[in-house]
Amino acid sequence: MTGYTTGDTAVALAEVAGDGVLLSADPILLALNSRAGGVIGAPIAVPQLAMIARLARRLGIAVSRSVVIADDDVDLDLWVRAQPEGDTVGLAVSGWRELQPWRPAAPNPGAGVDFLSSGADWRWETDAALRLTFVSPDAGPRMGVDPLALLGKPLTSLVMLDSGDDGALPILDAVARRQPLDAQPARLRGSGRAIMLSAVVRRDAERAFAGFIGSGQLIDDPADVPPPFAKPRPAGADQLSPTFTAGLDRALRTPLARIVANADSIHAQTDGLVQPDYADYAADIANAGRHLLALVDDLVDLQAVERPDFALLLETIDMADIARRAAGLLAVRAGNANVTITRPAADARVVAHGDFRRVLQILVNLIGNAVRYSQSGGAVLVTAHAGSDQVTVVVADTGKGVAPADHARIFEKFERVDASEPGGNGLGLYIARRLARAMGGDLTIDSAIGEGARFVLSLPTQAARGQDQYQA
Amino acid sequence: MSVGSEPLPDPALSRASAIARAARARQRADDRLETTITDFFLTADARLEERTRLMLAHVLRGIIGAIEADIRRHAARVLAGLGETTRAEAILTQGGALLRLTRSGVLRDRDLMKDLIARVRHDLIADALPAAIAGPEEPSLLIRLTGVSDTTVATAAGALLAAESRRRAANESGMIAGSDVPADLHRRLVWWVAAAVRDGLDDALKDAGEMVAMQGRGQSDQAITEAALRSLAAHDDAERPEAVAIRLAAAIDARRDELPALLVEALGDRRLTLFVAVLAHAIGIDAEQVRVIVLDPDGEQLWLALRAADLDRETIARIGLALADADPRRDIESFADALDSIASVAVDDARAAIAPLAMHREFRAALRALAGADRR
Repeated sequence: MTGYTTGDTAVALAEVAGDGVLLSADPILLALNSRAGGVIGAPIAVPQLAMIARLARRLGIAVSRSVVIADDDVDLDLWVRAQPEGDTVGLAVSGWRELQPWRPAAPNPGAGVDFLSSGADWRWETDAALRLTFVSPDAGPRMGVDPLALLGKPLTSLVMLDSGDDGALPILDAVARRQPLDAQPARLRGSGRAIMLSAVVRRDAERAFAGFIGSGQLIDDPADVPPPFAKPRPAGADQLSPTFTAGLDRALRTPLARIVANADSIHAQTDGLVQPDYADYAADIANAGRHLLALVDDLVDLQAVERPDFALLLETIDMADIARRAAGLLAVRAGNANVTITRPAADARVVAHGDFRRVLQILVNLIGNAVRYSQSGGAVLVTAHAGSDQVTVVVADTGKGVAPADHARIFEKFERVDASEPGGNGLGLYIARRLARAMGGDLTIDSAIGEGARFVLSLPTQAARGQDQYQA
Repeated sequence: MSVGSEPLPDPALSRASAIARAARARQRADDRLETTITDFFLTADARLEERTRLMLAHVLRGIIGAIEADIRRHAARVLAGLGETTRAEAILTQGGALLRLTRSGVLRDRDLMKDLIARVRHDLIADALPAAIAGPEEPSLLIRLTGVSDTTVATAAGALLAAESRRRAANESGMIAGSDVPADLHRRLVWWVAAAVRDGLDDALKDAGEMVAMQGRGQSDQAITEAALRSLAAHDDAERPEAVAIRLAAAIDARRDELPALLVEALGDRRLTLFVAVLAHAIGIDAEQVRVIVLDPDGEQLWLALRAADLDRETIARIGLALADADPRRDIESFADALDSIASVAVDDARAAIAPLAMHREFRAALRALAGADRR
């Protein structure tokens, strides 16, 4: 999948004749078409593109559609616009994002309404000129305004917008980048009460900004800023108490497991036939549930490693053996992604001092990441090396790599190697490094853009560990 | 409450009661089977989709609940004024008009269900319409109309913004005004609910004995009647979004050359009510009738109506595409296949074809009834 850029900026063009034959195409589009078995001079081989081009030609007007196209073993989320131009149809294809059935942080406008309304004091919508087209009636009693009188007025006639922490107005950024409005501080005109605005963007058929679908929450204490809906903030995580995490674990794990199991069986239609679209929803539900379960696991771990009394079961361990086990655990996922994992030789033995379960957890995380960021046909190399006072396990992939500027960031809480990639919650690497350091070792990265990533887990040898303890 | 030992049941009565119970159970089972068979043989395109079904129930519950609450509250006040405190209390506390009306079958009223189904479908489609902006940072159509110099247009546009905002908030919260249906349907609903309230009151008081149930019935009938009349008097058809949109369309009175852009922009602004009203105004057909043909996924009548308004192929294509994007029941492929032949229909032919739609609604209903009677 080389060459895909994320975001909406990359637009690939193509020209299609009246009979559906592909006349010309930009390289990325040409490659997609050829992987589907098509060539220049033959009908477009990607059925969704052919269908949109054909519809635009027959209707005689531009047709824009969001489509998901299976390309090898990944799904691409593309935005396709077909414009009839005389006898031919011009195609403009943007997006080029790999898609998984469920993404953690990409609310669509429809879903956003439900999400935004939870805990909101009032809801609002605007058009492209930020004029209010809807204000929920509960705004009246709560904020002392007449919601109906506000309709048609600019959003700024209701609230004064304040700049965010970085001095910029989040709303301008949201409009310009057509991204959800995360947390726009504002004050009500008249009373001056503090309010926090959040919104998702409504786009028009041309993907242009067509307005906001938003909510507002009154803030009694200006310091009491509600967490934005799009992603959790590190500040919130710092406040997790052990009781809270334990409660979260207990409260969520069982129901989530049941949701996942039931959704899976609905999807597999084991309990009987269901309409195909409902079966697909069930798959989405199961995936989302699995994501949440993984998040619960990570939050429990996060809370554990940050406790002062965090204890490890340190013993003599064979890092090569653990690396082989971790690679084995990820063999199925790697097989599905068509990625090869090369693991340490079966007779290799590299002895260190550490906690078996935690080292396995770190390596599963590292190899899992490597598989996720590898292209189809790529390879992940796992090697173990013994030194005089420390042993290392290196997990190297052939993915797109991590820029040096990001090397520190990716080990922070809630940061991800590539935020545009689906899956993951940004806690894995943070926890892995904390665990490595708690065992007297470290986790580092050595990578550059385009050169793949090398994660190095180092742990002390038995002798070094003993010496440390002696010196201490 | 009984005093002393229970009298022994009469064996003959007991047998009769068991037989009657068994007969009722058989009847219920038969009814259920009948309904299940009907359900199975429903054609897929006549079957309500899940969202529509749920929203229909939600809207019906909201409207009847609001009318019921109004009638109960006011009737209780009247009864309390007459010194009938027991009845006043009973009328306030007992509920269940929706259940009684559903069981009785009166809600299967064709006009009522036709209007509510159309309203629900309309709202779902309007919500799913893809937005199309007039230009970057340019206000949407309805908001631009609120700012035009023609005050009739500007006032009506402002009223439509408010009416649609109210309707949407009501749909989402379930607090739907009882009067948010056309006047004739509201009238029917109010009297049905009044009857259900009286029925419920009788049942509630029966527990207190036959005498109590009968005493003061005249007063409660009078109170319920007063409350119903009060609800009817408060009904204002003119505030409904449909009515406001008709006023706006009449105020705009789009010229033939303005019509295509106005219709396409109304859809792009996701104002289906305005689209319906503008089209109705252009072709001189009742907006309620136009709403029916706009919502019909088959589209045949709508395409003819668009041609009757002398719309060109491109405008019809845009309208067809937007509606197909918003309504999964529509088949865009067959629309694309038919588009050339739709566009080739002469305007006069199209007008002649849709002329029956221009007949008065009750005239049409009478003709339909007559045709049904002939068939029998």
